[in-house]
Amino acid sequence: MDTHSRMAGLAAAVGLLLVLALGCSSKAIQTASDSSTEPGVSKEPRVSEQDLLGKSPSAPGQGRQSKDIAVAKVEPSDAARRHAEDIRRERVATAIAGIEDVFFGFDSWNISDEGKHALEVDAQWLKSNPEKMVTIEGHCDERGTQAYNLVLGEKRAKAVRNYLTELGVGTGGLTVTSYGKERPFCEGHDETCYQQNRRGHMTLRVR
Amino acid sequence: MRQNSIVPVIAYLVLGAGFVGIMESGAADVFLEATRPDFQKIPVGVLEFKSVMAPANAAERVAEVLKADLRRSQIFTVADLVKLGIKVDEKLELLDGAQLPLFKQAADNGVAALVWGKMATRDANLVLDGYVYDGGTAELLIGKRYVGAPSTLRVMAHRLADELVSRYTGEPGIARTKIAYASDQRGGREVFVMDYDGYAPRQVTADGFLNLTPEWSRDRRSLVFTAYRNRRNQTIDLIELATGKRRTLVALAGLNITPSLSPDGRYLAFATSQDGNSEIYTLDTRTNELQRLTFQAAGDLSPFWSPSGRELVFTSDRGGGPQIYLMNADGSNVRRLTFEGDYNAAPAWSPRGDWIAFVCRSQEGQFKLCLITPDGQKRLQITTGPGIDDSPSWSPDGRHLVFSSMVNGQSHIFMINRDGTEQERLTSGGTHHSSPSWSPA
Repeated sequence: MDTHSRMAGLAAAVGLLLVLALGCSSKAIQTASDSSTEPGVSKEPRVSEQDLLGKSPSAPGQGRQSKDIAVAKVEPSDAARRHAEDIRRERVATAIAGIEDVFFGFDSWNISDEGKHALEVDAQWLKSNPEKMVTIEGHCDERGTQAYNLVLGEKRAKAVRNYLTELGVGTGGLTVTSYGKERPFCEGHDETCYQQNRRGHMTLRVR
Repeated sequence: MRQNSIVPVIAYLVLGAGFVGIMESGAADVFLEATRPDFQKIPVGVLEFKSVMAPANAAERVAEVLKADLRRSQIFTVADLVKLGIKVDEKLELLDGAQLPLFKQAADNGVAALVWGKMATRDANLVLDGYVYDGGTAELLIGKRYVGAPSTLRVMAHRLADELVSRYTGEPGIARTKIAYASDQRGGREVFVMDYDGYAPRQVTADGFLNLTPEWSRDRRSLVFTAYRNRRNQTIDLIELATGKRRTLVALAGLNITPSLSPDGRYLAFATSQDGNSEIYTLDTRTNELQRLTFQAAGDLSPFWSPSGRELVFTSDRGGGPQIYLMNADGSNVRRLTFEGDYNAAPAWSPRGDWIAFVCRSQEGQFKLCLITPDGQKRLQITTGPGIDDSPSWSPDGRHLVFSSMVNGQSHIFMINRDGTEQERLTSGGTHHSSPSWSPA
């Protein structure tokens, strides 16, 4: 590369940076001009206040008011659609591989005999497909608090991982996570559904 | 020499302790005024507001929002002036001495303060003049003019309500506080912020998957929350509300959940499972230094700071089922607080320091809200019924709580008085609103 083309490249890069910078700043200005408030703050319209009694802000009982909380408007994104698409593809891939889930008792992370049997099938497949990445999701039924169920879900996912490891599956391809009670499989509110929702859910990663 | 050097140290310790003591009892005294069991609410009357070429119903609407705020404040009762036959002449421009009979009538009926207002239009804006008079002497106590776009009508009423609370209690009111929460939206669970009365919900994140447990910074500018951005790893993020600027504070291996910022805003307490099971850590947000506080084979989670910042309350299942524990902010002096029932979780310390709210399992096996004093001496259950209650969060004045309650899979956010009275649903529409957190005042 000669000096000229290097300079040209540099100029192009600087130009690109300028365009990016200007793009950013014009966006910032746009946000500010939409609001009648301080620059850079949200589009929430502000209320101005005047004391009709001519009291100074330091008068007793005055000046204790804090500012209104400004909240910027969020830009919509297509992230949800992408997540949904990933989940659908993972479900298909997992079903094709014949990988099974494990179910648990109330407030328990012990793997039942039935669960062990399912995991033996899973372990066979995982050992013959060592390059595949699997996420083990811990799930809970709707009873109890969100936070405690996240921890419980993780205990379930880790119990599944530990049993797979005992069966000789390498830990490299296994990731554990917990969704607690936040993403139930069954939407009902009785034990039939609850037992469906207390699970270690296996998903084959597609990306 | 030796003695000389010790004396100042002792003097410092004594003075320091005394100073802290005064600070604490000072705050407690203000609180006692309005929260003693024998506290008498102040009867206030809201006269019909005058409309001067204002948009249809604007004057009535602003008066209605004001009345609702005053009732909710727990400081005032709103007298029914129509029933008492107290009416203002609609030709009046300003209430003054000439209307003394009106004030005498109010005083005779025990009305301690009268509120009157005028709603007008100027350019494209609404102009609200709000006046508060002493019911007995007719003295004008508050006169405020608020100018804003028509969409700010409720904010104007909230401001006037806070003005009254501040005038009569010396404390900031809560009518302009907000509640952060998580809500299902287009397939994802996003963070939202709404007014304290459930109006004006506003979306804060658009990640499309799962966001949980937003908590406020003390300066009310930011929220910290758990974000599942790639479905496998949970990070604790901080978002600046006014700008939408976001950064990740915690991205340790494993679950990173239940963040809570210290009262001085410097430390983030949270639970992480990087050590194999859930443990409580603090992060010094200035130095990025991590400190591990719990060392248990069991799950430790949901840390929440005491108002002084010296202690943390948290959930642990080290004794079998989940129970509430206390510890010093450095992890020392751990003691169990709850002994009744087999499921106690999700603690929140009142900003007044006097109560800790948490989720308890009732004798009927339902997940309800309970309160306990930090010394464990008093405990009471404040909600009943079939809903699965979760995530209690205190109002900054310590008189109310918000929480989520799920019935038939529909989760909504409710406000309730500290004594369990006047439960009010704040969210409408949608099917899943959860983990509410009340902003500071």
